Amino acid sequence: MIYLSKCKVFFTFDLSIINRTVMKTNYLLPHKYKTIGWILFILGIISGLFTVYSGYDYEPIRIKVFSIFNDAVFDKEADGFFKIIETGIASELSSIAIIIGGLVIGFTKEKVEDEFIYKLRKDSLVWAIIFNYVVLFFAIILIYDLAFFHVLVFNMFTPLLFFIIRFNFLKLKSNSHDE
Amino acid sequence: MTNNLKVERAILNMTQADLAKKIGVSRQSINAMEKNKYVPSTVLALKIAKLFKKPVESIFFLEESD
Repeated sequence: MIYLSKCKVFFTFDLSIINRTVMKTNYLLPHKYKTIGWILFILGIISGLFTVYSGYDYEPIRIKVFSIFNDAVFDKEADGFFKIIETGIASELSSIAIIIGGLVIGFTKEKVEDEFIYKLRKDSLVWAIIFNYVVLFFAIILIYDLAFFHVLVFNMFTPLLFFIIRFNFLKLKSNSHDE
Repeated sequence: MTNNLKVERAILNMTQADLAKKIGVSRQSINAMEKNKYVPSTVLALKIAKLFKKPVESIFFLEESD
């Protein structure tokens, strides 16, 4: 009897949404932006690594910028709040490219965006945050003085990077184990 | 939770891709479910049950550990 009543509930339960494919997520960009994301991300990483390798001295573009707070090493006149200062912007451009590119890669829809891929994305984010801070923990207790500056620089981008690597790894893994 | 998706699929002679297309998910999702690596949402479970014209309980089963 219990089973029958359950069946009744089941058959009267009309699922009008049966052919609606995609998960309803309001923060994901359309799939077509993914390529642009990858291009920005890779260009950003290459130019960023070049900037780091040059010891932050390579500055091909110098422009006047608005700074809300400046604490210069040499030019004391430029110190203070809300000043227009002149500076090189190579590292800034690289950082922006990595951040925007990385966010676009991580938060554009997949070809078939369903609840499983949504779960993979969420799991990758959790994994990336934990992994990032475990790495940072060891960097703090093992890297000192000026060398730690590099850790600070890389750590600006590693959460995104670990997230993207993990997410794509999980996608590949779920793709490879076929029937 | 476990399921007999594979059996139900075989009865209707459907591939993972066929089933995925019919209910509007990726083939990977079906594969992950059949391998018990992914527990579908209630909506997805109901969609699958509707497609196979069977009650949800005859496709998805609780396990000891659930």
